Amino acid sequence: MRRRSHILRHLVMALVCALMLIPFYWVAKTAVTNENIYAYPPRILPLKPHLYNFVDVWYLIPFARYFANSVIVSLIAVAGNIVFNAAAGYALTKNFAGKRIVVLLFLSCMLIPFQATIIPAYLVSARLGVLNSYLGLALPLLSTIVCIFVFKAAFEAIPASLQQAARIDGLGELRILFRIMLPLAKPAIATNIILSFIWSWNAFLWPLIITRDVTMQTLPLGLARFLAYVEDTTGALYAFVCMVLLPGIIVFLMAQKEFIRGLTSGATKG
Amino acid sequence: MSTRAILTSRFFVVPAIAIATLIVWNLYVAAHAHGEVSGKVVRADGAPARGATVILYERNLTSHFLEKTRTTTDAAGEFRFNDNRSHQIRLDTIGPDGRQGPPRILRLWFAAQDVDLRRPLVVSPSKN
Amino acid sequence: MNTAPPQRAGAAGSADAVAPPARAADWYRRKRTREAMLVACFLLPSLMIFFLYRILPLGWNVILSFEYWSPLKAARFAGLDNYAEMFLEDDVFWQALTNTLIFILASPIAILLALAVALAVNSDLKGAAIYRTIIFLSYPLMSVAVGIVWRWLYDERGGFINFVLRGTGLIKEPIPFLQSFGWALPSVILADIWQVVGFYMIILLTGLQSIPQHLYEAARIDGAPASARFLRITLPMLRPSLFICAVIGILNSFTAFDLVYVMTGGGPAHATELLVTHIYNMGFGETRFDYAAALTVVQFTLLVILTFLANRAVGGNAGSVESA
Repeated sequence: MRRRSHILRHLVMALVCALMLIPFYWVAKTAVTNENIYAYPPRILPLKPHLYNFVDVWYLIPFARYFANSVIVSLIAVAGNIVFNAAAGYALTKNFAGKRIVVLLFLSCMLIPFQATIIPAYLVSARLGVLNSYLGLALPLLSTIVCIFVFKAAFEAIPASLQQAARIDGLGELRILFRIMLPLAKPAIATNIILSFIWSWNAFLWPLIITRDVTMQTLPLGLARFLAYVEDTTGALYAFVCMVLLPGIIVFLMAQKEFIRGLTSGATKG
Repeated sequence: MSTRAILTSRFFVVPAIAIATLIVWNLYVAAHAHGEVSGKVVRADGAPARGATVILYERNLTSHFLEKTRTTTDAAGEFRFNDNRSHQIRLDTIGPDGRQGPPRILRLWFAAQDVDLRRPLVVSPSKN
Repeated sequence: MNTAPPQRAGAAGSADAVAPPARAADWYRRKRTREAMLVACFLLPSLMIFFLYRILPLGWNVILSFEYWSPLKAARFAGLDNYAEMFLEDDVFWQALTNTLIFILASPIAILLALAVALAVNSDLKGAAIYRTIIFLSYPLMSVAVGIVWRWLYDERGGFINFVLRGTGLIKEPIPFLQSFGWALPSVILADIWQVVGFYMIILLTGLQSIPQHLYEAARIDGAPASARFLRITLPMLRPSLFICAVIGILNSFTAFDLVYVMTGGGPAHATELLVTHIYNMGFGETRFDYAAALTVVQFTLLVILTFLANRAVGGNAGSVESA
């Protein structure tokens, strides 16, 4: 009886996983097949598969440019996130007047989705003069509330005696943060890196609003733009999709644990 | 964290492999990207076609092929281009009698890849 | 100078009321201000970012919504004109509002699916970790790419869905999913569910794993059947996770901008127009920042109301349970 229910559960899970994976397979098949992809009925297996569509994508669209832009923006966002969030999380471990107000402020910012701020955010960036620049692309992404609380929890787990000892030794607060607290909060740093990287890598609406030149566009924008002007019968568009998804999948598989931990710990903060 | 731990962690190994592959690939490309396209033109019966014209087309953005250069085969029916800059080319042959052979489209792995045709281009003999 | 410290130390022990207390208080005050300034400096960068890009925009939206504003002319006070236009003349707004509500109301389906999957994966099934990874794989991907993938799946000729439906004989002619007025929104919703079910599953899994086992043991000893165990123990203890899933479901109607932009661009005759896409079109397509700000205010109000309702549904306080 137990075995039967086990087998049944495995079957159900296998079915669910198949449903989740079929879109990937269908697109991968389309990217390597050597036929008119709009012919009906579509083949389940690719016909005479070849990888030349990927070569086409590389040379016909500025993939390297889009990729480099995305990497630069993500690097700025990740670096900013680590520094700003660690500082804010450290400050939140101390008791000071108005701490409750600040915490409430942060929590309420979590309720404000980015999409509700796009118009004034554009105006703010315009006033700051950072439209169409890397800094402008990364600026709203430079700090996230979830990561601040991740750091706060990690810092609170460090025994206060270490900080006291460091203070007696005469270290300034900044030094304490970087020399003592951060090295002991490595999981929090990893979580921070992966969360801010994924969010900045996948951002579409903000780059759409703030970039003017084609040379400043990031990968999601390049993908959307390619969709608009390529209508051929080869799988070039889907080769592009595969090339775009691959780094995201690799990064996710590498850092699964940290990513999931970051999402769920943030979730428990409500 | 010890050096050994850093070196074996997945956060180092995966990017290291990616970058190493990138470097090796770029070196390979640099060594083989001179733009040489060479091959042989034969008639339907297998004999080399002397004096046939071979035209090289390069693909542009909107999947049209634009003519780049043309050359003629030598006594042994062989031809050679030295300045291909594209990753997808089309070769048309026009026999000495004016008949056109079937076009051959070549998809390369990188731009200006050196390629030597394995199967010769065929020009159909004139039917007199 | 050399003798001062011992004298002070000695004096601190006694109940001497001369110089020492004043100097000590002075030192404490300076230390507290120094600490306060440090805290302020550490908090400043993050606070600046949130002020510039979350709090200020919220207020600016409200102000903009009551003005006639254009980049070229000075702002004029408009009273409720923008709102009047929205509610009385803008059909696209009502269509977008309906679509957004339908979108949000579809999230319980996804949450139930994710709950079923989480329950299955939570057991001591061999390979549960692999199942988890595969199901969660779709979430960290770019929505733009997901949109293009599903656009291809829905294609009339090369798409998988029409292929299966026609191949099994369920339909004769292919269904133009993304071009038909009736099928477009459900198609986009399905793509969104595919992307987000992994996230719901992870949240619910975390919630499931935090339920103390002894509750189940006690129920089993008392002879409670599995359904009662589920309804009386699992569901109530999952309330915080369910609340989070509900909030994410509401926010999904905002973040689905990417999917709609790529899959249908607003749909055949606004069939897939969401409030988010309407705001984008008004703000950056027609450069009517004031009207788009008014739309944003309405959308944010909707978000707050729905979150409040979800909070009530899980019993207040974001569903957190008091420890027994």
